[in-house]
This record gives sequence, C-alpha cells and structure tokens, in this order.
Amino acid sequence: MVIDLATFYDLPKQFDRIFDEFLRPSVISQKRIAYPAINIYEDEDNLYVYSELPGLDINDVELTLTDGSLILKGERKSEQGNYYRQERPTGIFQRIINLNIPIDADKIKAKMKNGLLEVILPKLDINKPKKIQIES
Amino acid sequence: MTKEIKKQETPKEIIFSPYTDIIEKEDGFYIVMDLPGVDKDNLDIDLKENELEIRAKINWTKPEKAKDIHVEFVPGEFRRQFTISDVVDKEKIKANLKNGVLNLFLPKAEKAKPRKIKIVAE
Repeated sequence: MVIDLATFYDLPKQFDRIFDEFLRPSVISQKRIAYPAINIYEDEDNLYVYSELPGLDINDVELTLTDGSLILKGERKSEQGNYYRQERPTGIFQRIINLNIPIDADKIKAKMKNGLLEVILPKLDINKPKKIQIES
Repeated sequence: MTKEIKKQETPKEIIFSPYTDIIEKEDGFYIVMDLPGVDKDNLDIDLKENELEIRAKINWTKPEKAKDIHVEFVPGEFRRQFTISDVVDKEKIKANLKNGVLNLFLPKAEKAKPRKIKIVAE
C-alpha cells in the first residue's frame, strides 16, 4: 500500500490560501442579522436613530416610546407575480432599541425621506453634564 | 516652528449591491430595487445594448459632531447590472423612484406576448 503524501506537501500552500481569503477585502454583501438596519448616534443634546425603510411612507411606520425603549414597527408588502428573483425582505418587522437615558418624550421628531427614517430624541435636561464651580 | 498637521481623510466609496426583486407579469418584467437614501438626482440608469446599469449615490450624512453608538449601514454607492433579454421592448422601459424604491418596468415586445392561436375548423 502506498501512502500518498502529496496533500501534506501542499499544506503550507493551503494555509496561505486560507489566510489570503481571510485578509482579502471582501465584497460587501448586505447580509444583515436584523431587519431593518438601524444606526444610532448621540451628541450632547440628542439621540439620533436612523433606519433604512425603503418603500415605506411615514404613515406606514409605527413608532412607540415605552419606558426605556423605542419600538419601530411596520410591514412591507410584496407584489403578486412570477418571481425570478426575490431579495427584498417583506413582511412584518419590529425592532426594539434600548435607550439607557431618559428622553423628553414630547419633543421627539421623526421624518422620512427617500426611504430613510430619522428620529431625533432629545435628552432630558437632568442628564446633561454640568460644570461645577469651585470656589477658591 | 509648529505646523498643524491635518489628517487628510478621503472617505472610500463603498459600493453596495442593492436588494432587487425581478417579477414577471403578463405585460412585462418589473425590476424593483431598494435604494434607501437615494434622490432622483443621484440616480443613473444606463442602457447599452443589452446591459442595463443602475448607479445611485446614497445621499445622507450622519448628524454633525455626533458619536456613533451603533452602526449598521453607511453611505456609499449602489451599483448593479442586468442583462436584458430580447423579449423586452427597450424603447418603452419606464422608471419610477418613490420612497427609496426604484421601479423599472420592462414591457414585453409585441411579438413576445402570449397570444391565442385561432383554430379554424374546416
């Protein structure tokens, strides 16, 4: 019986290939864990929540602020027909965003443009850092 | 002598392939494409012979001076190509962009539409 060691000799090459594949800048596929995609930004006064909701009108989106979280709800409908390709996610979606700071609920602003939702959540004043005067 | 050194950052354009549905109906094909954050002015649709190319710049910026807390999508460019079959009447392709969704209607040429064949009984 002859043991073929050819593959062993090739091993370094195979390792190289594996590493190459890891290091190669990958083509960005839009595979996501959660739908819809959400961005959260923060500055001194506000929290900003952005979300990609193409095809939806502001009236199709339900935004609810509960104690400590913002809930984004809606539905994307699909068309009837013979599908050759279907990549666009459809159906009912919901995402819950935890807000770990108190929000001024009366001053929340939301707008939609080109399928992009922008929610501005003003922080309550008590959270803002204050400078303390030190008397000498 | 001190000179302020400014870091020159040229943001790299990231190219995304947009989510697309292709649907066939009796009157033609519909290409439905998700282009969130794209304006009518930033959208280019090119048809060269049988190649249909869609390019769209994503037009939004994050609020100034804001910190990133959680980021799942970034601005960039959408790009995608399709090869169109001869069945399509290329003169009559229609495009419509609404709420970040591009709707392309590619009507079937008259000769390609399903037709009933009359049977003449003798």
